Amino acid sequence: MPQAILINIVRILFLILLQSVVVSRMLLVDGLILPWIYIFGILMLPFATPRWLVLLISFTVGLIMDYFSGPLGLHTTACVTLGFAQPIVQRFLAPREGYETTQRPTLQRMGLAWYITYAGVLTLIHHGWLFFMEAYSFSNFFYQLLHILLSGAATLLLMTIGQYLIYNSKSTEL
Amino acid sequence: MRNIIGLISKYYVFLMFLGLQVLALYILFANNNYHSSEFIRQSSDMVGSIFSKRAELSEYLRLREINDQVSLDNAQLRSQRSENFYVQRTEVDTLQDTTAKQRFTYRSAKVVNYSVNREQNYVYLTLDRGTMGDVKAEMGVIANGAVVGKIVSVSEHFAVVMPVLHKDFRTSVKHKNSGFTGYLVWRGGDPSIADVIEITRSAPVALGDTIFTTGNSSYFPRNLLVGIVERIEEDKDFHLLKIRLAADFRKIDYVEVISDLMRYEQENLEQQVENATSHSN
Repeated sequence: MPQAILINIVRILFLILLQSVVVSRMLLVDGLILPWIYIFGILMLPFATPRWLVLLISFTVGLIMDYFSGPLGLHTTACVTLGFAQPIVQRFLAPREGYETTQRPTLQRMGLAWYITYAGVLTLIHHGWLFFMEAYSFSNFFYQLLHILLSGAATLLLMTIGQYLIYNSKSTEL
Repeated sequence: MRNIIGLISKYYVFLMFLGLQVLALYILFANNNYHSSEFIRQSSDMVGSIFSKRAELSEYLRLREINDQVSLDNAQLRSQRSENFYVQRTEVDTLQDTTAKQRFTYRSAKVVNYSVNREQNYVYLTLDRGTMGDVKAEMGVIANGAVVGKIVSVSEHFAVVMPVLHKDFRTSVKHKNSGFTGYLVWRGGDPSIADVIEITRSAPVALGDTIFTTGNSSYFPRNLLVGIVERIEEDKDFHLLKIRLAADFRKIDYVEVISDLMRYEQENLEQQVENATSHSN
């Protein structure tokens, strides 16, 4: 258990650093595509994490991310929304017999279809909230929509590739 | 009362979500002056040092290109050395030149971070020189002789530049051939194109003409390259010039920070005149 907590903290901090130092620097298609992969740390919290803790972790992650980029509070509000939605999406996607408490929502455990739905819905919620907050006005609605969809697809793709790279099916649940 | 406690314990997650969301939105919107606060944060030593580590790495990967540029600059400078010139006059000159007094000096600095925000239409650069390197706010910044921006915030070791690519940046420029002046602004979109406004319609502007600084502001000396006219649109009384900026903002590694040694003298004098006229009124 203490090991699982430590690993989750290290993963979250590593992802924030990776996000701000590498991923945010890539200006894909003139900035049209901007993946925010740091939310992977929130998506990978074990099923047994209490909801209030998910919310608090999300708030903290957003605040740290804000320190590196963008106006203060922007990622915080998107992450709080994500942290609220994450357990709800999990409940909707729950198998009939429920989750094992030690399980984590990885691709290898839950299968590709489950993982894509789970990560896809949450990515869309987070990116949508983030980009609309960032633009304040909806002056260029279709550009924003394209921006969200393409960036979300890029985030999802990177997170799925990450799953294949980092975890193999035999690894222990952490 | 019991009902209320029951209600709270039932919906505590939702209430907590509401609380945190309100807090986050407050942080976001209470910060009205967020451009400047972000500049200050970006120039803080902690964030600056993380970004400068990354810049070291990416700079290493681009050494070849930087080398080419340095050798080019070397060749240019060498060709300007006095022994390369044929002396036409035969009479003896005094070596000490008292007719010219230096006004602008240049300091080299390295760019450690570049970030862009499409929605808000701004970009900024972080430099690795701060108050310790005599860099102060309101100094002009150029790269390879082309205008880049001005310093807006400094810490001990870092400084943040508001580049031409910022909706609040504005400096006076002139059309080289005719000498008519206007203002350089950027309104978002393509980072290699900026607008020159308020050049009168009678000015004979053609595609490919060069735009220079005027020296009216104390950020830049006269005749620094700004860009080249790419498209001409007509406003009511003025030309609206779309110019291709001479500085390529995606490829800036080293810049020069300009300090104006006579700025305070000039500002003091102008201030005195202003005070005198306001007293007499």
